[in-house]
Amino acid sequence: MNDSLKEQLTSVFTDVKVFIPEEDRIVITVEKEAVLSVLSFLKNHGYSHLGLISCVDWIEEKKLELVYILSAYMQEDESYHDKERTTIILKTKISREKSEFLSVTPIFVNAEPYEREIHELYGIHFDGHNRLTPLFLERKYETPPFRKDFDTRKYVQDVFDNIPFVEKKAENK
Amino acid sequence: MAYAYFSGRDDYHFDHQEITHMDRNQLTKWLKTPVKMGHKYSLHAVYFCTGCGIIEVPPVITARWDAERFGVIPVATPRQANLFLITGYVSVKTLKAIIRTYEQMPEPKFTVGFGSCPVNGGMYWDSYNTIKHLDKYIPVDGWIAGCMPRPEAIFVAVVHLWTLIDKDMADGYKRYRKDYKAYRANQEQLFGTLEWPPLFPIGESK
Amino acid sequence: MRELELYFGPQHLGMVGNFSITLQVEGDRILKATANPGYLHRGFEKLMELRSWIKNYPMVCRINVVEPDSMEMVYAMGVEKLAGHEVPERAHYVRSIYLELARVGSHLFGLWAYANMLGFDTVAQWAMYHRDLVLDLFEELTGGRVYHIYICPGGVRRDFPEGFKDKIVHTLHSIGGCVPDYNDTFFHNRLFCDRAQGIGTVTREEAIAMGGTGQVLRATGMKYDIRRVEPYAAYDKVPWEVPTRENGDAYSRIMVIRDEMIESVHMIFKLLDAMPEGDVYNRIPNPIKWTIPPGEAYVRCESSRGELGLYMVSNGEDKPYRVHFRTPSYSHGLTVLESALQNASVADVGNIMISLYVVAPEIDR
Repeated sequence: MNDSLKEQLTSVFTDVKVFIPEEDRIVITVEKEAVLSVLSFLKNHGYSHLGLISCVDWIEEKKLELVYILSAYMQEDESYHDKERTTIILKTKISREKSEFLSVTPIFVNAEPYEREIHELYGIHFDGHNRLTPLFLERKYETPPFRKDFDTRKYVQDVFDNIPFVEKKAENK
Repeated sequence: MAYAYFSGRDDYHFDHQEITHMDRNQLTKWLKTPVKMGHKYSLHAVYFCTGCGIIEVPPVITARWDAERFGVIPVATPRQANLFLITGYVSVKTLKAIIRTYEQMPEPKFTVGFGSCPVNGGMYWDSYNTIKHLDKYIPVDGWIAGCMPRPEAIFVAVVHLWTLIDKDMADGYKRYRKDYKAYRANQEQLFGTLEWPPLFPIGESK
Repeated sequence: MRELELYFGPQHLGMVGNFSITLQVEGDRILKATANPGYLHRGFEKLMELRSWIKNYPMVCRINVVEPDSMEMVYAMGVEKLAGHEVPERAHYVRSIYLELARVGSHLFGLWAYANMLGFDTVAQWAMYHRDLVLDLFEELTGGRVYHIYICPGGVRRDFPEGFKDKIVHTLHSIGGCVPDYNDTFFHNRLFCDRAQGIGTVTREEAIAMGGTGQVLRATGMKYDIRRVEPYAAYDKVPWEVPTRENGDAYSRIMVIRDEMIESVHMIFKLLDAMPEGDVYNRIPNPIKWTIPPGEAYVRCESSRGELGLYMVSNGEDKPYRVHFRTPSYSHGLTVLESALQNASVADVGNIMISLYVVAPEIDR
């Protein structure tokens, strides 16, 4: 079942590496230009549940890796097939300095909040997204907070610990 | 007491005798200070679920650990409340809402920090988005330690708060009025300019 | 057209959890709803990268405050998959019983919130009381009422104490014996049916497009439950059914929740009978500094809100390299909520929001 999907993918797309680490998991590594077409191909083959869009910061390689996790909803109401057990992990790497990518919201509607979150936490700009405003954060950070070179403990010391206690201020008056 | 350590004040020493006698035969005390009786036995808590401590508040206000026998009920708006229970950690975005809610409450008002996160940051001491010491931004009358504290800890805190009110030591709101310049300066150092005007007029520096 | 912008903000009597919705209304009809999360953001995943695998056990459960146990389960499953660590047979059964008890407790909490929103205070008080009985069981088993830290990679922390089986049976009988009262007062009450039927309808195509799982999808007729699709722990060892309804409105979702509670109770009895003897914990190789070989894993389980997933990356150290939780309330609270509130009446906002079963800390992490 997974092998047939692997053959279909490698026959249609040229630059795709498919790796099956264990039963029920397929890991596909693509170049960044092919991501949208591979996603639509997989969606047309029944993998229409976008579970997660995540991002990993490989700081030594100077790359940010975007990860798309797809699985399949049930085809029939009553019986369970092997297809629903399979999870596809689609990965692609983009450069860390010039971090831009295309948005997948035309294909999957529910990708919108995931991309907003990655935009504010990792600093990746998604072209074609219609609402790239901050989701959780309110303040501006010089380095996006989830990157590996953002030191949270130093940030806490600089911003929060420097604010004095009120009783000490009152004593010093 | 078994369940909670309440109060961070050095000058408040808990007296077991006062609690076991529980104001029962103190009719003269009530007649002398009916105002304090009104403050103590009707602590209406503003219903604001600030953090993860909110999971222990519905058990407290429902039938099993009934808080209404202590006079504590949740109310809808801060204008009707005089107890602010800050349950759990405070993020930067929530602190703005907390300050606005606190400033809308009429005086006398009492604040209790619930859980170990408002005390000194708790488990999230190295997070970039949580407030480490709530004391720096609004005045707090006492703390309940624990993660999560038990529901009985809220009742212990309420009883301690009664004793503090009797001794005129629950004066968070008076400290806010007196030191408002320092509190406002701390708030502005964290947020930049604030959208709402100062609550009390900040006079010229002495 | 005269529009008004309202804030169904964090300090509101109808809001459970620290979450806010901005509504643009014209008269009584909502034109556009914008969810406004971020009040509970702690940067969890960044904090987890600074603590070792073992120090993360107490951190993980605090993401979802209402049902912390499914978070512990999915973390344990992910670490076991990355490290190749086995779990003994009895531990699977203990984990399943524990998770089903947590599911009952979480659904009772949701019933409190929903019944309070509609004004059925009596049912809300009953539900919270019965949840306290379940929390007493947890306290005896693990020591804490709310945050248990019971499921660890390798099994569970300790076995059932003496006489615990009888206590579980006794508590569940006393809760289950009140189901006819719940039915008469709430679930078969004409007021509830009139107020919840046809409100907040999410059709199957919309749910599939917007990434809905859990009750949102099972209320449209699809039997999508991770405990059946990709079984974990001991869920494939006992027979049980996935309850569904047809219409996809608030009434269907609440009835699915009720049926799930009853099914969980039956499942616990069957698991207690089928449980084998043995150990419950397989010790980890090095409790001081446990390094896990490099790799990645994606595991998922069914929490009481929907499909809960965890994507973990390790690079060979004793700390996680990247941890990302796929929480069910993310798509329900941000995408499905904004679409379900379109053209709804202002009076139904709380009804729709709580029937979509959103927990705010799960969105923000």
